[in-house]
Amino acid sequence: MSMLSTSTPSFAFLRSRWLGCPLALMLTSTWALAQDKRWGPGEPASDYGYRFGELFWLITTLVSVAFALVVVLLIVPMLRDRARPGHRASFDHGKSLHDKRLTAVISIITFIVLDAWVLVIAMKDLREAYWAIPAAKDPQTYKVEVLAQQWAWSFRAAGVDGEFGTPDDILTTNELVVPKDRPVSFNLTSKDVIHSLFLPEMRMKKDLNPGAINLAWFKPVVEGEFSILCAELCGFAHYQMFGKLRVLEQGQFNEWEAEASQLASTAFDADDTEGHWAWDWQE
Amino acid sequence: MRGISWQGLAVAFGALGLLTSLQTSEDENPHARAPRDVSLVVTEGAWLRAPGADWFAQRAKAEPGRFTHDATAAGGAGGWVDSHGEYSLSEIEGEWAYWQWASAERLTDGRQDFVQFCSSCHGLNGDGYGRSGQHLRPTPRSFQQNKFKFTKVTADLPSDEALLSVIKRGLAGTPMLPWDLSDVQLLDIIQYIKSLSPEESGWRDVYSQVGDAIEVTEDPWTDTKERAIVRGREIYHGAASCHLCHPGYVTNEELRVIRKDPEGTTYRENLTYPALKDSEYEVLGRATKVMPPDFTWHQMRAGTTTADLFQTIASGIKGTAMPQWKGAISDEDLWALAHYVENLIVSYKDQPAARSAFMGGLRVSGDNK
Repeated sequence: MSMLSTSTPSFAFLRSRWLGCPLALMLTSTWALAQDKRWGPGEPASDYGYRFGELFWLITTLVSVAFALVVVLLIVPMLRDRARPGHRASFDHGKSLHDKRLTAVISIITFIVLDAWVLVIAMKDLREAYWAIPAAKDPQTYKVEVLAQQWAWSFRAAGVDGEFGTPDDILTTNELVVPKDRPVSFNLTSKDVIHSLFLPEMRMKKDLNPGAINLAWFKPVVEGEFSILCAELCGFAHYQMFGKLRVLEQGQFNEWEAEASQLASTAFDADDTEGHWAWDWQE
Repeated sequence: MRGISWQGLAVAFGALGLLTSLQTSEDENPHARAPRDVSLVVTEGAWLRAPGADWFAQRAKAEPGRFTHDATAAGGAGGWVDSHGEYSLSEIEGEWAYWQWASAERLTDGRQDFVQFCSSCHGLNGDGYGRSGQHLRPTPRSFQQNKFKFTKVTADLPSDEALLSVIKRGLAGTPMLPWDLSDVQLLDIIQYIKSLSPEESGWRDVYSQVGDAIEVTEDPWTDTKERAIVRGREIYHGAASCHLCHPGYVTNEELRVIRKDPEGTTYRENLTYPALKDSEYEVLGRATKVMPPDFTWHQMRAGTTTADLFQTIASGIKGTAMPQWKGAISDEDLWALAHYVENLIVSYKDQPAARSAFMGGLRVSGDNK
């Protein structure tokens, strides 16, 4: 490859091992970080969670390839065309029609490969999973009303009778218990500022806006304890606004629900209307 | 790179670093805070009731130069003198009592922080009805009613130390967080909270008693925990009758044996569930009801170690049906109760299978539900 005389740039170096280095570095470091729960998202615990992982790795791979290309395209010409004994530095403003065409073609290909591809897959995920709110009248759907505030989560489940606003409504603060393998559907709102209900292991995140009721759902497929976090900066103690999500196996959950409903009925104070904040379920 | 003096650049960076560090050290001084909101300036200081002589004796050990005992004070009864002038002993309406001076400056500092951190739930004027506190159960405290639940002190009103501890630890299972502010900030907020007592009540009342902490005595059961649990179970269902409000963790028959009642005695319905109780605490002019916890189910607000439980049971929960047990039963029995309750929490709380086997067993074998 002659470096002295070329006037049009040579892209032969793209075939070299130069390209592999940044690509390998980026993918392996992302993979390594993703293995550690503190950095990566960990294994999904909801049925649509795997879609998140697929999208994440698609974007990471595409971005890594683009990054590797850009790095190589920057560094190699800088070395190749630099000034050194017997060689004047050569440079190009990219004003020729050829260069403009090249730029346009690269841009269009980049858009189609990166943005359009990701957009199509993301929209498919949203339609098929995230926006596919389960029907409220399906008895399998476990409904939860969430009232957020600075800086706590209040959860209300309908209890054994399945009706909101009755004495056996199960009220919990910063703790939510749900059944495994049943869709959990949320009605979300806030008293004061915007919060965001984030269940990282379930790959679910949805804002709670004061004055509006937002919808979200997920279906847990793993038993255990998971995190509830606030993902919207909501004031001084935002960092302390977290809770515990417990997923129980169906039989255990039914027992839990019956007991929680009974205890809720015991604690119910009929005259304390200010404390009864349930609303009609929104679909 | 002619024209740039590298040494000059280094000096400039150093100066910048120095400025930053000066800025930081100023931030760490809690009294140099963000510009104040002039609408929140408190113009008058306040005299607030202070704890009794025992508390001063404790403080005097920590700060020997500051507090001295004067045998001639309080009309010859003797009392403590604060050389800083913050605390003073004076006679009002024939009552000798210690008072603490909270300056307008200090109350202003406290109010600024109160409005920033506390008012969203506790309300701008401390009435316990801020925007985020609405519909919330349990309700945020109103600082105008002078009823504080988890103080771990003997008297009605908590000491500064007791309030500080509640604020720093938070109340588990409620939106009252463990607050991560400096002690100086928190103590200023506490003075402001105390100054919210209406005239002639709470910390502004000469007849109020500000409490000494319940001392955590030595646990007599450290080597005999099993026996403590057995003893605690007897006290719980026997002498202390905890099962009248909290769940009974026994069958009717077992309860009859523990209480040495005659055959055929019946007890309250739903013995294995708690019973809703009245409290003196009001929300929007209405007395609220309080649910005594089921230890195998509900979250303890003020700690789950035996020492925490000892203090909570000993002091009682002010304004509710839970009385002060210190003095009513011996410390040995208090510790046994603490061990028994701790054992219930450790064995069954958040363990659905173990709990339903235990509670289910009580409900099947007795006629209680």
